[in-house]
Amino acid sequence: VDCQLNLYFSKKSFFKCALHSCYSSLVLFFIPYAAMYDTVRDDGKDIADYQSFALLTQTCLLFAVSIQMSYWTAVNTIFVLGSLVMYFAVTFTMYSNGMFTILPSAFPFIGTARNSLNQPNVWLTIFLTSILCVLPVITNRFLMIQLCPTINDKAKATPAPPTQRARIRRTSSRRSGYAFSHAQGYGDLVTSGRFLRRPALTRSSGFTHVGRTTTSFSPMGRSAGYSPTGRPQNNKVPNVEVTSLQMYRTITDSAP
Amino acid sequence: IDYTGVSSDSPCYNCAKNFTWNTTEPCVCTVNFTLLQPNVFMYYGLSNFYQNHRRYVKSRDDRQLNGDLSALTDPSKECEPYRKSGDVSIAPCGAIANSLFNDTLVLYYVDSNNSKIEVPLVKKGIAWWTDKHVKFRNPAGNSNLTLAFQDTAKPVNWAKPVYELDPSDPDNNGFINEDFIVWMRTAALPTFRKLYRIIQKKSGTTPTLPNGNYMLNITYNYPVLSFDGRKRMILSTISWMGGKNPFLGIAYITVGSICFFLGVVLLIIHHKYDNRNTSADIPS
Repeated sequence: VDCQLNLYFSKKSFFKCALHSCYSSLVLFFIPYAAMYDTVRDDGKDIADYQSFALLTQTCLLFAVSIQMSYWTAVNTIFVLGSLVMYFAVTFTMYSNGMFTILPSAFPFIGTARNSLNQPNVWLTIFLTSILCVLPVITNRFLMIQLCPTINDKAKATPAPPTQRARIRRTSSRRSGYAFSHAQGYGDLVTSGRFLRRPALTRSSGFTHVGRTTTSFSPMGRSAGYSPTGRPQNNKVPNVEVTSLQMYRTITDSAP
Repeated sequence: IDYTGVSSDSPCYNCAKNFTWNTTEPCVCTVNFTLLQPNVFMYYGLSNFYQNHRRYVKSRDDRQLNGDLSALTDPSKECEPYRKSGDVSIAPCGAIANSLFNDTLVLYYVDSNNSKIEVPLVKKGIAWWTDKHVKFRNPAGNSNLTLAFQDTAKPVNWAKPVYELDPSDPDNNGFINEDFIVWMRTAALPTFRKLYRIIQKKSGTTPTLPNGNYMLNITYNYPVLSFDGRKRMILSTISWMGGKNPFLGIAYITVGSICFFLGVVLLIIHHKYDNRNTSADIPS
């Protein structure tokens, strides 16, 4: 549905993405710049040098993108934390004495990680920058979920009622539509596609109506008006048009 | 300093015990304490000096600075045009080394008799430990640095060769001279400060820099007017946050208030719209 609504690659979404990138770039440079301006370490030595500044900016970037995850599942969390750990491991290795001794011209950043990452100033800057980068994203997501929820969001929000479904299944499992051999059968119902429930308010405009409308429904036509539970099966959606299939057992009702 | 005198080893214990509202004689007790004086750090600051220009940053040879003998006589191509002077290779090569800051700043205290007392300045302990002990090494093989550097020339803009940077201290001479190391750590921004000297704290209650008039004697060697640069001397004490930069404090307060405000606003929105959402129907 989202793809049908051109939600992912339209000019509007591109513009939103570009705006977010501009904002992030500005934050990721200017916050460390202002924090490092005229600053020194807590023992008086240099911290505003080229290499420490570069390390600070790249660490801010990593934290900012790691926090911007959409779904914090267990696997996702493990991999994100793992990649952060890998980043620090590689950084400390590259900036260690050993690598410098092997190839001095390739590893000029020696000592930078040790000397700058033990400053509370640096960690506070990293924390501030990542929070500031992530803030609009989280606010946007929250507002979108609250004010214009998509079908996926609503589906995630409503819990599935399992008991009702199980009960329906069991009572009618012994009955098959083919027992009603004296009736027409389901042939034209299936081929017309009307077994998909039609919405009363057309939110997703992708569906077109195929086949007969329900105005021609006659309870005598299909199974002599018999229905397994004797009542309409979805009480929560009163404004959905009653299709003939609602009188039959269906699995496609309340639980998505 | 809490002088209530509750515990018996406190100087004011007797006074506290015996004192009632009726006593007419004042009770005197003395408490001793020492004021801790911090170290004062002396920096030189330069403005409009782009030590972060890419060609400038690349113009060094870390192998040569690490004491590699082959690189001493055959420095890297990155150092051009400061690689060789005539036929002899330059040590240390490169534009960064060539533009070493060579002003000398001396601080004098002018006391009440108008006599100048020189403030003792410590020139060691100003560079990073890893720089001084791992990254920068003098060429091995000769404890006499003049001999070790004999096949090399001094950088074009220097007055003295590298082995005469501090002849009085072999641990601060040659490539491991701390002023040189501090300069070679290129700054990230066009306005920067680099640690020059440390004024050690004195014992007892003597302030590190007493109140009064001071004199700064400058041996002006470093030209900056050609690129509209500025030079300054900065004296600063240090806290755990390092120097005086109020930006982080102000930024945290601002961002914190924004977050708090956003939190309240979103809570209201959530409260209002969430009720509507859970009872909403799935339309398809």
